[in-house]
Amino acid sequence: MLRRLRGILKKEFKELLRDPLYLTFALIVPTVIVFLMGYGLILDVKNIAIAFIDYERSQLSREYRYSFTNSEYFRFYSLIDSYKDAEELIKSGKCRIVVVIPQDFSRKLYSGKPAQVQILIDGSFPMRAEVMKGYVTAINTQFNEKLLKDYANRVGGSAINFPITAEIRAWYNPSLESKNFILPGMLVTTLMFYSVLLASLVVVREKESGSIFNLYCSPVKAWEVVFGKAIPYICIAFVTYLIIFFLSVGLFQTKFIGSFTLLTFATIIYLFCAIGVGIFISIVAKTQISAMLIAFIGTIIPAYLYSGFFSPITSMSASAQFISKIIPASYFMGIVRGVYLKGIGLESFTVDLISMTAYATAVYSIAMLSFRKKVG
Amino acid sequence: MRLFALIKKEFLHLLRDKALIFILFWAFTGAVYTAGSGFTMEVKNFPIIIYDMSKTNESRELASRFQKPYFKILSYIENDKELIKWLDSGKASMAVVIPADFKRKIDKSGAKIQIIIDGTMSMSATVAVAYASEIIYDYSIEILERKIGVTGKFIKNLPIIDERTRIEFNPNTLSSWFMSMLEYFNMITMISLLVTAAAMVREKEQGTIEQLLVTPVRTWEIFIAKIIPTVVSISLLSLLTIFVILKGVFGVPIRGSILFFYLVMLFYAFTISTLGLAISTIARNLAQAMMLMLVILIPMLFLSGAWTPPESMHPLMRYLSLISPMRYFIDFGYSVLFKGNGISYVWHDILGIIILGAILFAFSVYRFRKSFAK
Repeated sequence: MLRRLRGILKKEFKELLRDPLYLTFALIVPTVIVFLMGYGLILDVKNIAIAFIDYERSQLSREYRYSFTNSEYFRFYSLIDSYKDAEELIKSGKCRIVVVIPQDFSRKLYSGKPAQVQILIDGSFPMRAEVMKGYVTAINTQFNEKLLKDYANRVGGSAINFPITAEIRAWYNPSLESKNFILPGMLVTTLMFYSVLLASLVVVREKESGSIFNLYCSPVKAWEVVFGKAIPYICIAFVTYLIIFFLSVGLFQTKFIGSFTLLTFATIIYLFCAIGVGIFISIVAKTQISAMLIAFIGTIIPAYLYSGFFSPITSMSASAQFISKIIPASYFMGIVRGVYLKGIGLESFTVDLISMTAYATAVYSIAMLSFRKKVG
Repeated sequence: MRLFALIKKEFLHLLRDKALIFILFWAFTGAVYTAGSGFTMEVKNFPIIIYDMSKTNESRELASRFQKPYFKILSYIENDKELIKWLDSGKASMAVVIPADFKRKIDKSGAKIQIIIDGTMSMSATVAVAYASEIIYDYSIEILERKIGVTGKFIKNLPIIDERTRIEFNPNTLSSWFMSMLEYFNMITMISLLVTAAAMVREKEQGTIEQLLVTPVRTWEIFIAKIIPTVVSISLLSLLTIFVILKGVFGVPIRGSILFFYLVMLFYAFTISTLGLAISTIARNLAQAMMLMLVILIPMLFLSGAWTPPESMHPLMRYLSLISPMRYFIDFGYSVLFKGNGISYVWHDILGIIILGAILFAFSVYRFRKSFAK
């Protein structure tokens, strides 16, 4: 029984080894992705070009401006004169934020009244706009605390203290660096789409070239074909995993405090899921081009959107939460981030591991059922 | 006339593959819809827990302000162990810890509460912290006003800066506008690249390329014939995307000229298709082509400037992104469709797309002639 499986495996491995260009690229692709994500994908919002319209130009307004430009978040771009220039700067994208300081800024504040400051933010990229708005609020809060203290001193009453201040502590990633969430997350998404893509052509290729009839005529069973085709690609995907892991931890110094064995174990189950999906697509598709398109469109972008890579799944809409529950990436994401950043052990992931195993079982069952030795 | 016959042949190829047509439809409707509707980068229902050691009216009042739509209180906990468990398991992403002496300190030296945030997702953590700080700040101002004796309604009548933020183009920071357009641009890129490359590689795999070579058609004619069906189908399906999905379903404000966008979009689809042809002159089978496309596509998608603005990129990546046609197109697309800018803002993008297209076309004609030298 295993003899036939071994036969298929031997043939598939031979075919892989005979195509050195393909094999080289199979290893280059993950390397490129790691470098790209490590150097290229920077989600920290920093050094944003900021412009000011300062109608007052007093000492206080200058001090207020400095409170922005002295932070690491904003970079002074220019001091402009009119609203029209502001709109122009934002439209052309030269500047992402403009602060408008009114004429009566210090007069109002010194006489104990609030002063209105207008802030224009470029909203073409909403997440960045949201983060910028948060920075602005934080800077204003700090400035206000100072203003209030000065006011209390001037008025002469008992020195008032600000009633409540919050001390912020970020666990697991104290400096809130995006690198520490991108690189582990990338392991999840890359293994997802890459495995599916690798496996998506294996069966349909034989359909197009006609060599599938050799399989139809032979006594092999469906499960032997499915696993015989899957295992070589699981091996490639596993090498991919090792490349990504060692580059991200070794070269890019991503925080890793968990257990490598546990991560590897979970990865193997995950790879079975992903390759299974690829094989399934390959069995169902009639032409290589459609198999490839399904794999590209159905995996690359969803892997990033629904796995919880960019934003917590809890913030998504109900339908998106549903999608993320039916793809294995979201379960694996929890495990990967837990192991990398939190260093937590097996007991927290039992449910995730069981879900992934169930997923793999389902995928292979469906794949086997859809492989029929029939023509047409 | 020869060219016409070739184009007809390519169209027949495309139309014969029912599954392919379905996928194309899905790419320009369903995929754009799911990306825009499901995915959000907004921080909503952020799961938090409250650890209230003070148990006074003031602390309860503060806790009650952490509410929807930004926050969702999952539980009130009683000890550190629970706190660690909630955060470790990832079920809660933030904890508000109110110390026992909260009420006493408010009246005296100022109370310090602790916000513990799960930093694994740094971006949403930053936003959530900003929301939390705002809530705490507003509550503080209220207490101050009560103390100083600003009677009546609680208006902010203290010498503080009252910020009025206006977010241009997308006042409610809806991710759906951003995401649906991005997905649409992604699909234009993916489809023009994949479909053209696959159509060419198939001829190589099946050996029909030799038949083409013995006919009197010229290389550029073969190429144009391969490109045109892809570009035409993209431009037809784009009508659906722009009018039905973007405008109809998501209500994206299309502020610029659609005609102008279309014109450049055709050039862009042409440029990317040419890239697909260039790949097909190198790859011998589709599996190889797929690998080559991945090596090119993934950097293009992530250096497009949509996720990381060019000014924040590593200088090396910024220069690298200059040779990616998608970088110009993303800038152009948002600028024209979304911001309503005219040609004076985007001429350099158009120039970039055209120059890259010309170079790629020349390169693939050269490669093709070389590999099939007669």
